[in-house]
Amino acid sequence: MTNIEKYREAFISTFNLKEIDPSELEYQSINEWDSVGHMGLMAELEDSFDIFLETDDIIDFSSFKKGIDIMKKYDVNIMV
Amino acid sequence: MLKNKNIIITGCLSGIGHATMENFSKNGANLWACFQKESPDVYKSIDNLTSKYNIWIEPLFFDFLDPDKIKEAVLKIRHKKQIINGLVNIAGITKDSIFHMIKMDDIKETFEINFNSQILFTQYISKLMLRQNYGSIIFTSSITAFDGNMGQLSYGASKSALISAVKTLSIELSPKGIRVNAVAPGVIDTEMTRKAKEEQINNIINKTSLKRIGLPEEVANIYMFLCSELSSYITGQIIRIDGGLN
Repeated sequence: MTNIEKYREAFISTFNLKEIDPSELEYQSINEWDSVGHMGLMAELEDSFDIFLETDDIIDFSSFKKGIDIMKKYDVNIMV
Repeated sequence: MLKNKNIIITGCLSGIGHATMENFSKNGANLWACFQKESPDVYKSIDNLTSKYNIWIEPLFFDFLDPDKIKEAVLKIRHKKQIINGLVNIAGITKDSIFHMIKMDDIKETFEINFNSQILFTQYISKLMLRQNYGSIIFTSSITAFDGNMGQLSYGASKSALISAVKTLSIELSPKGIRVNAVAPGVIDTEMTRKAKEEQINNIINKTSLKRIGLPEEVANIYMFLCSELSSYITGQIIRIDGGLN
């Protein structure tokens, strides 16, 4: 599985997305991505990429796109 | 009571922490036991407990004044890939001094160890608990937080801060099945207590209904209760263990 596939899968499985494309998602743009869902997403990404997200990055993780930039700090390059 | 449960305990070197490590082992829990420093005695103690009770204990060595080491410890816990049933925060310090003699650096260090670092550690561990929708987190406050005590401004204030943290965390984490409570020990027979003035200790003991000092095992029993399913409907509470202090 490529990084972009793993990254997309983290959103799809955390928020149980069926018909929504995760690439346009922003924090609180759907009911599932609330503060509790956000921590679930962070946990899923940490497990998928074996990283440890800093609190500042968890706060800054405001959208699917912003997350791609943040992941670069952890040497995870996601090619869209 | 804790058979096959996996628990993290901080401050295992001595006093209440050490008694809790022994008590939890005796009751079948597997442990991540956190110590400030590595020593042959630590390994000897762990070897005794693991062979006697057929459990595993992973020792973790870190200083609560070093955030990078805290993170390293959390990563070791995460890499074990085990359910975390409970976190028992016991590590703490006291730097007693009457108000006009208190050094600001001592207040900062007391808060750093007794509050800030414990919150940081708990933030990391609770993130792991969120994945499993389950967990029990316990802090160690003190009766000083409620009643005050001569020379213990910084200690008491840091322990009061933990009470406030328990109230908020219990609300925030309950939707994810995580309970948060604290114990507030009174005068307990530990090295920390033995450093206090005998007269001061006796004064407090005389104010208890039971007229005696508490034992570390008696505090450990409450941690055990709060980590177990017996306390499944208890969260956001501070349980005094003070022999009926009036």
